[in-house]
Amino acid sequence: MSTRLRKGEQPTKRMAHVWDASKCIACGACVMACTSTNNPDMMTREEVGWHSIASNIRRIDSVSAQGRPEVLLMQCQHCENAPCLNTCPFGATYMDDNGMIRLDPRMCAGCSYCVTSCPYNVRWFHPDSKLPKKCMGDTCLEFVEKGLQPACVQACPAGARDYGDLNDPNSSVSITLRTKRSRRLLENAGTEPKYFVVEGS
Amino acid sequence: MEAADLNFQVHIAHWGWRIAWFLWFVGIAGMGSVAYYFVRKAALAYVIFGSLAVGLVLVVSHLGRWWNLPRTLWTMVTSGIFNYTSWMIVGIVLLSVHLVLSAVLVASHVPWLERFEWLKWTGTLSRANVFLAIYAFLGFMATVYSGFLITQASGIPLWNTSLIPVLWVVSGSIAAIAVIELMYVFGLVESSVSTLAVRLGIGLDAIKLLAVLGFLHVALAYGSAGARIGATAMATGEYALMTWGGVIVLGILVPLAIGAYTVLVKKSKALLVVSSVAALAGVFFLRAVVLLSGAWEPLVL
Repeated sequence: MSTRLRKGEQPTKRMAHVWDASKCIACGACVMACTSTNNPDMMTREEVGWHSIASNIRRIDSVSAQGRPEVLLMQCQHCENAPCLNTCPFGATYMDDNGMIRLDPRMCAGCSYCVTSCPYNVRWFHPDSKLPKKCMGDTCLEFVEKGLQPACVQACPAGARDYGDLNDPNSSVSITLRTKRSRRLLENAGTEPKYFVVEGS
Repeated sequence: MEAADLNFQVHIAHWGWRIAWFLWFVGIAGMGSVAYYFVRKAALAYVIFGSLAVGLVLVVSHLGRWWNLPRTLWTMVTSGIFNYTSWMIVGIVLLSVHLVLSAVLVASHVPWLERFEWLKWTGTLSRANVFLAIYAFLGFMATVYSGFLITQASGIPLWNTSLIPVLWVVSGSIAAIAVIELMYVFGLVESSVSTLAVRLGIGLDAIKLLAVLGFLHVALAYGSAGARIGATAMATGEYALMTWGGVIVLGILVPLAIGAYTVLVKKSKALLVVSSVAALAGVFFLRAVVLLSGAWEPLVL
């Protein structure tokens, strides 16, 4: 079982998500797997703010300057310097010893401060519980506790997703990040995100 | 301005009208407490206490899980988790203490309560300069907090400027002056106090005009994409009418013109009512338009 870190304590692991954009075929399987696994009650309901399925993975479609369609998959970056951790007034948002940013529902009053604090706009409100949901969902956390991969990694048919420990040089994510060109989003925000976008070999 | 990933916080985080009213009430109560140090009238104490109470009811009712608040506070206390890096928890402490001190002040002014011997200390305390100085400082800090509350929301680039707490203090002071002017109209403060307040108000209106235009200019000219999207919504977009009509014309130019007329020509109670109501409305619209225009940084690959 993972434990909550107190102020000043450092995580023993630095669990990170990797999304390989060069492999991704934009099928949306990860988005659907996330919702059906963690919030099955939302499968037929819309996230009204995003106008999309309520998922912990937000799909952003855009067009490049050259007119090429592009997709970006956005989710909680489990930042090492997470703004939501600093702003949550009641301490509901916390970092565990795996370096994951988590939410304790017992301590959440639904103030939305974590939502407005996140530069990545990845939290959404569950319409019934009013909890600010994000990656990872409860079921994915159970998967990880059992040594399995999160639902998005399991569901991706292109092998574009991965999850592992940055502190372990032999983990698949460490090897990928050592051998392929990658970047993090909004680097200048100072959040030290642990979500890596692989752009190519 | 168009972006592939364009999201305004009001549709997702829902910091909208109710939070604007909360910020407005905190501004009146906060800077009203500073004014109380100099004016010391019962009516002002009632306005401060009422504003704080209504503001707190509004903000608690805005919580998505307000019914979980007792459990939240209980868990905080029993587990010893206090996040003092959050401006919101700082604000909760400030506003709670301010509300209690405001209740003491109100108790000292209510004639009906004078019959209770055990409440005599409220009168003694509320006449002490040290107490009133602490009270004024708390009010000032509550207003500052209400600015940093949104400045700390780092997801919304338009808000990430220290100009917001300054704007909130200046506009809160304008609101407090408007309340004093209304008190004068109803015969609750002397004419000399009102005259001083009008002169002070002219200076504050000029500073507020500069600060609002500076806020827009910096965001539009040098801000990130998210800040520019927000400032564009304020200046020429969806909320332009609220900015130019509500904040600038109604909230600044009308009180400025009436203030100048009052100083240069003559004082008119009817015009002071118009000026005060317009100033109070402008203070509210400023908070509303800044909140509603908040947008995230667009994210693209």
